[in-house]
Amino acid sequence: MTKSTRQQFADTMLELGKENNDLVVMVGDIGHGSLQPFAKACPGRYYNIGILEPTTVSLGAGLSAVGLCPVIHTIAPFLIERSFEQIKLDFCYHGLAGNIVTVGSAFDYSNLGVTHHCYGDFAMLKTLQNTEICFPASPIEFDQLFKQSYQNNQLTVYRIAGQSHGIEFKSEDIVFGKAICVQEGSDITIVATGSQLRTALDAAEQLLSKKIKAEVIYVHTIRPLDNELIRTSVKKTKKIVVIEEHMRSGGLGDDILRATYDIQDLKFHSISIPDKFVTSYGSYDQLCESCGITPKALIDSTKNWFDG
Amino acid sequence: MTNINNKTLNKDLRRKIVDMVIEGQDGHIPSAFSILDLITFLYRDILKFNSKNPEWLERDYFILSKGHGCLALYVNLHRHGFITDNDIQMFCKQGGILGEHPDRTKIPGAEASTGSLGHGLSFSVGIALGLKIQGKNNRMITLLGDGECQEGTVWEAANVARNRRLGNLCAIVDWNKSGMTLMPEDDMPKKWAAFGWNVEIIDGHNEKEMAQAFERIEFKNDGIPSVIIANTIKGKGVPFIEGHGKWHHRIPNQEEYKKIMGTLV
Repeated sequence: MTKSTRQQFADTMLELGKENNDLVVMVGDIGHGSLQPFAKACPGRYYNIGILEPTTVSLGAGLSAVGLCPVIHTIAPFLIERSFEQIKLDFCYHGLAGNIVTVGSAFDYSNLGVTHHCYGDFAMLKTLQNTEICFPASPIEFDQLFKQSYQNNQLTVYRIAGQSHGIEFKSEDIVFGKAICVQEGSDITIVATGSQLRTALDAAEQLLSKKIKAEVIYVHTIRPLDNELIRTSVKKTKKIVVIEEHMRSGGLGDDILRATYDIQDLKFHSISIPDKFVTSYGSYDQLCESCGITPKALIDSTKNWFDG
Repeated sequence: MTNINNKTLNKDLRRKIVDMVIEGQDGHIPSAFSILDLITFLYRDILKFNSKNPEWLERDYFILSKGHGCLALYVNLHRHGFITDNDIQMFCKQGGILGEHPDRTKIPGAEASTGSLGHGLSFSVGIALGLKIQGKNNRMITLLGDGECQEGTVWEAANVARNRRLGNLCAIVDWNKSGMTLMPEDDMPKKWAAFGWNVEIIDGHNEKEMAQAFERIEFKNDGIPSVIIANTIKGKGVPFIEGHGKWHHRIPNQEEYKKIMGTLV
């Protein structure tokens, strides 16, 4: 059975915790079982602290203030949206370093409803200075991105995707802040983040049957964004579709549009969550479908861009 | 309940606070007067610090969580050499480091940027927990407002501190009853006792009672956290500005200034 990215989080904590005595992990009653090896190997540095996310964030900042390296882990809406002012003031304004690891972003917890959804997190976090954002959607990405950035003297937020995109990257391909060109092409650029890399590749395959060669770029680091790779591709193709599990407002698409707006004759489309609550139940795949995040929707969005 | 004594301590610092407000044309005089005696006592008799090296690793940590009382902190930071005459003169002026709330990024000796109520105790619990993890004996003291105790995060933090046995943490509540104008049912000692904290009740303008309370608090790294409920008077020392009312954020005019200064002779 393939390892989940959440299990990789626990494994990476164990590995780093053994070599770094400053690493302290606090969870809000989630991941408690998988983090037991860390708890045993690093006594006094693991806390299932309670159901109190804003205070957990402030606590983490306090740990950082005395020189420890906090890792705070729980469900995205409570850790980002509910605790936003604590993130803003206690970590970011103070310039204190730390790490936030979320699960349950976008509509990963599809049937739990709107209270457990979180699709505005990129937008909120991007308003804050001293903050970096990653979206690892496979175990090796989490492991590499965390190891490369957890001691970078800033707040780093790791949004763990509920579903892996299923693409096997080599560890040396994953560099914090650098996007990956997964497939080269010359007619259109598709930029994907998180699990939607799978959708992007499916769409690219279908476009190829129409003799349209898509370049597929994968973004695991939302901030700092690898503008250079994206601009180089778009200068070549003049056409770009961004696909992501985030609200249209403030998502990756907005950043890419800002980074490329001056490229002449640019055509842009965003495949993302509409700017409204996702109120229906169903599986993750069904919610993607209901939000128009599918290979078909991606292809349809480009149909007027090509002759025939 | 302890009786509040009539004697006014620290008249010199009270006058300095009023002068700062006049010079900066901003500030909360009554809130500062409410906690001035407590903070002055802490910096003189309790806290370990090195103003020439504010980040000294062996220092005790003090956080003024009710940030709007900052003038009481500033005059003590000045008295003990953390900040300069010029810093005081530049209160609320462009280019200065002192605003209407303490700012960790600007002020030597300010451990947290407070002002948004309900952050200071949670941040302090993190520091206390961190010190415990590191096996250090530094003390963590946090001063909160009674109105601030209406914020839910205060009680989240109180719950964690008790359950993690952070005996190295002491909270002080400035119980000047201002919060009771909004929520009259406010038995502050009972609330903290219900969260399992060791509760001390004192007159917040009586140094003898402050000293006795601190003698009783053990500051054990593994123990029960303590709270000092300090009965205080908002605006203490100048009867016509005392209490919860229009003076909360008022700048004295010339006539009022003379009257206040006349009271503080």
